[in-house]
Amino acid sequence: MAVQLWRVVNVYRVITLAYAAALIIRDDGDYAHPGAGLVVLAVMTGWSAVTIVAYRRPAGRRPWLIAADIGVAMTLVISTRWIDSAVRIDGGWPTLPVAWAAAPVLACAVAGGRRWGLAGGLAVSAADVIERGTFLTTSTFNGIVLVLIAGGVGGWVVQLGLRAESRVERVARREAALAERERLARDIHDSVLQVLALVSSRGQALGGEAAEIGRLAGEQEAALRALLAAGTAELRATGADGQLDLRALVAPFGGVQVTVSCPATAVLLPENKAEALAGAAAAALDNVRRHAGPDARAWVLVEDEGTRVQVSVRDDGSGFAARRLAEAEADGRLGVPHSIVGRLRAVGGTASVTSSPGQGTEVELRVARI
Amino acid sequence: MWPGSDARSDTVLDDAVPLRVLVVDDHPIWRDGTARYLAEAGFTVAGTAGSGAQALRIAAAVRPDVVLLDLNLPDLPGAEVIRGLLAAVPPTRVLMLSASGERQDVLDAVTAGAVGYMLKSARIDEIVAAVRAAAAGQPVFTPGLAGLVLGEYRRLASGGTPAAGQDSAAGRARESGPPVPRLTDRETEILRLIAKGLTYPQIATRLALSTRTVQNHVRNTLTKLQLHNKAELVRYALENGVD
Repeated sequence: MAVQLWRVVNVYRVITLAYAAALIIRDDGDYAHPGAGLVVLAVMTGWSAVTIVAYRRPAGRRPWLIAADIGVAMTLVISTRWIDSAVRIDGGWPTLPVAWAAAPVLACAVAGGRRWGLAGGLAVSAADVIERGTFLTTSTFNGIVLVLIAGGVGGWVVQLGLRAESRVERVARREAALAERERLARDIHDSVLQVLALVSSRGQALGGEAAEIGRLAGEQEAALRALLAAGTAELRATGADGQLDLRALVAPFGGVQVTVSCPATAVLLPENKAEALAGAAAAALDNVRRHAGPDARAWVLVEDEGTRVQVSVRDDGSGFAARRLAEAEADGRLGVPHSIVGRLRAVGGTASVTSSPGQGTEVELRVARI
Repeated sequence: MWPGSDARSDTVLDDAVPLRVLVVDDHPIWRDGTARYLAEAGFTVAGTAGSGAQALRIAAAVRPDVVLLDLNLPDLPGAEVIRGLLAAVPPTRVLMLSASGERQDVLDAVTAGAVGYMLKSARIDEIVAAVRAAAAGQPVFTPGLAGLVLGEYRRLASGGTPAAGQDSAAGRARESGPPVPRLTDRETEILRLIAKGLTYPQIATRLALSTRTVQNHVRNTLTKLQLHNKAELVRYALENGVD
């Protein structure tokens, strides 16, 4: 930001130098001391070169150089009184440097903000008044107002810009720190998961009491893994226009006996549809726990088929004959029709259940996107 | 899921020559424990490494049959280590392990050329069987990996991210790029059954196929992704002026 601002000062100086040069070369013959205008122009050109080079680097932006900058501008403005003819001066013709004299004011504003910009503007204005002998002429007054505005407003804008920039920088730093903390957390989680997995597999290999410890470690490992999966998915849970990532809702179902499989990319659905699918899947897993036997394992698969989203829940439990499902449905004994089909029907989805004795049960839940 | 004895028959492996395994993991407890188990199970542990760079150096020297690779190494991303390993020792099979579950990095690793993936919570006998299967070039899948692979094919078919699916720029990019790989109906069916927890023999029974055929289908799903990934990398290199 500061670099661009100093570049603005330099560009301003070059443009106003060209303008002043054009006026001086045109009017040199009309001055009280012809030729002196060209000396002033030479001084302006040389000084412009010095400041442009110096202001490019932070080390060159010394307070004394900026003060000298103001001093040179004042001197050249006042010199107009001696060089130019009294008729022209009293007639309200501009000073020799014209708008070039405002360049140091801008330098003050960029270097020190509103106050320094105003101070620089006042100094150059004072030179203007000395040159005219009065500040009651319209052109002098206009010039003073313009220089003061340049210094004050310019400095103000600079301060606002720098403040905004530092705020952006602070936010970026905080984000970087957060990302670093997340990375560290991931490493720690990974280590904890590793140790739990190791205790689990070695304990079960050893048998006896160690097997029990291993089993407990395995449970904790599965629980932590599901928690982490839910956590990372949740960060990206809400997409555009308040849609939910179905993966974030389904991931917490994972555990020792339940495996959840999802795509690597977000499965975005309107909130009601995502919640209906997740709720129906939870109900299906509930059924597995109640009916499939204590050792039954279950697998949840989330598939995004573009126009529709499908969630499958399969278990390797005892299963049941299709006829029994229909009977149970008629009796209202199984929770399948109400808690699963009901939820999906509310959002225009469908559910199908297939099962055969000894082959477990498969529930497929589908919801159309549109 | 990885029938050990018949799995080895489609390679030239001799029972008298034990499989040489390189174990790569930055956690010493896990690395040394796994190496010991593998040695007890009759493998030759050709080396162990604690970082990706070390793994690449050792693999080039000992040329292992199988690299058992932890996905989360401190120095290099898993996919990069796999590309390096396969460039240095083309016939080696890389079997990945991670503790944290199936995510994008697992998908990146299989598209980079790994033959399979396992969770570290697997029992040691499962890991032993998986190393054997990997040595024979058989795909080692978890249900989670099957879900990721299914999702990846659908993502590719829709032309990038789901959100960019309707974008015409994405469509143009697709036309200029290598053709998008697709799953056959059979492959989709098999991947879905893996994701639902069925083993290769169970799938074979259900679909009235041989276990070998089921494994071939599964391997094809990975090979297509890997070829596509390679073509994409080449295209990227050409477009960005890399020789």
